[in-house]
Amino acid sequence: MTSQLVDLQREAELFLYREAKMLDNNRFDEWLDLFTDDARYWMPITESREVGQERGPVAGEWALIEEDKRFLLKRNERLKTGLAHSEQPRSRTRRFVTNIVATENEDGTVGVESNLLVFQSRRGSSEQFFVGCRQDRLTRGEDDWKIAERVILLDHRVLPRAISIYL
Amino acid sequence: MTMTDPRPMVAPARTSTDLVRPDEGMISREIFRDPAIYDQELQRIFTRTWLYIGHDSQLRKPGDYLTNVMGEDPVIATRGSDGKVRVLLNSCRHRGMTICSTDQGNAKFFRCPYHGWTYSSEGPLVGVPRSADAYRNELDKTRLGLVEVPRVETYKGFIFASWDAAAIPLIDYLGRDQLWYLDIPIEGALGGLEVLGPTMKYVIPANWKLAAENFAGDDYHVLYTHGSAFQIGFLPDYDTLADYIAYFDHGHGMGDIPKPGRGLANDLMMAEHFGPEAVDYVKAYNQRIADRLSPEQAAVHGIGQGNVFPNLSWIKFGCFHVFGLYQWHPKGPGELEVWQTTFYDTGAPQHVKDYARSQMSQENAAAGIFGQDDGENFEKITESARGAVSRTLDFNYTMGMGHEGEIDEPTLPGRLGPHYSEQNHRNFYRYWRQLMTEDRA
Ligand code: FES
Ligand SMILES: [Fe+2]
Repeated sequence: MTSQLVDLQREAELFLYREAKMLDNNRFDEWLDLFTDDARYWMPITESREVGQERGPVAGEWALIEEDKRFLLKRNERLKTGLAHSEQPRSRTRRFVTNIVATENEDGTVGVESNLLVFQSRRGSSEQFFVGCRQDRLTRGEDDWKIAERVILLDHRVLPRAISIYL
Repeated sequence: MTMTDPRPMVAPARTSTDLVRPDEGMISREIFRDPAIYDQELQRIFTRTWLYIGHDSQLRKPGDYLTNVMGEDPVIATRGSDGKVRVLLNSCRHRGMTICSTDQGNAKFFRCPYHGWTYSSEGPLVGVPRSADAYRNELDKTRLGLVEVPRVETYKGFIFASWDAAAIPLIDYLGRDQLWYLDIPIEGALGGLEVLGPTMKYVIPANWKLAAENFAGDDYHVLYTHGSAFQIGFLPDYDTLADYIAYFDHGHGMGDIPKPGRGLANDLMMAEHFGPEAVDYVKAYNQRIADRLSPEQAAVHGIGQGNVFPNLSWIKFGCFHVFGLYQWHPKGPGELEVWQTTFYDTGAPQHVKDYARSQMSQENAAAGIFGQDDGENFEKITESARGAVSRTLDFNYTMGMGHEGEIDEPTLPGRLGPHYSEQNHRNFYRYWRQLMTEDRA
């Protein structure tokens, strides 16, 4: 591995760790600043199909999440209304981001793949895990990297509960 | 195929008049937690009503199949080589193994993973490994096909099935008055409705009835449960969207019915933001309803949501929403699995489709800002029925009692009520009680 690639890898790892910490600590506005203004956030639905009849997520089909920064801002705004009942009180969350691999794309952006394990504890004893992988496309801004695209592929066929937290 | 009648059981006394008193607006919390009552529901409700299975657009070719659940009975719907759709119990006739473990696909036959018994996609048992030496050719294969659900009927592409061989026809079960409204999104679609991608599935640790009764016309909760959506400007003032709710025979109900004229006006206002193509689309959609149905139905244009008894809910509103179906699959008295399917009008302009699709994910879906708050309510209400003292208390469904039938809208069928009333819940539980206590409903 060239030292340039090692630097890239290291930088990507630090970026994702810092990002995870913001979410674990409910610093949602700061987190959203990590996205470019035209960012795309997509979480398709996982299917269970026979070997040989699998199909990947299809753009244009409906998804668990398909939105832009404008709506992510609305989600943040909603959390502040005091009426977002599914997050009143806030869930306690802990994110584990692993298996990070960063690659330089031809257009100068950086592709980062990672595995994701999120623990959510709600109210008293309601607890669940969300597991999947992320495929991020990052751009280098003036002083920091930004997320231009995030695709989250969850491994669950049946989600353990409605998604009220950011994954 | 012979099978024992799944409906001979006797109702427990507790589900009758004392626990469920819809005419007093009182429903005991027991029916949201008692395992014995839940068991009776599986037997008396889910084997006697018509349950949604899938849509024609998912089963186009012979051999196409999809899996679903009727109550807690898993089923496979397949299109046979004869073109007919059959619904088969997804369980091997040898020793019960699940025959098909995928969501959908195409198969000429289903082979059981345990010992390899093989069924054709029409259901008959066509292959038994080592039949000659293991069974000495004495096994009567003709009696061991997959159990077929006796009644399968389709309404305008929507496939339903019932375990009750003597059930009234699907169209009568759904009923003319309910269909008067449901026909609007089905017939309005310029290119017809088509399933848009996979079924979304997630768990709510809640009793299935809480979700069903909510969609049957609980417009009242929208104001507060979904108050955040209004505060962030995701929706306009709720009272500008709709005026009435309505209920129908067999426990069905719907909410967010606009006064004639309001639905089209709202959609046209919305279309202005999208440009002339969207305006033309709204007008063509409305004209199509007038032509294919009636001017009175065109005047309604779009209804919010409803519940087809027992556990099939839907959401629509106008041209800028996809048509969404929710099955609230019961998984014991304290848990349900949501199976959510989305349809769109193949004739809508691309940018309207794109908007409607992401809007649905943002609103009433697993990660939507409506769906997650609803789920939290259903979950906590279910918990509230557990305690020895709490469970002796009734839930209060008295809103609008003594004022039913006061709405004067002669062109709108069904039992109309004002936007905020629990008349539809009472209707839901009246039919629920009838099925739970009477042998013929
Ligand atoms: S259980 Fe299916 S072949 Fe034995
Ligand atoms: Fe709701």
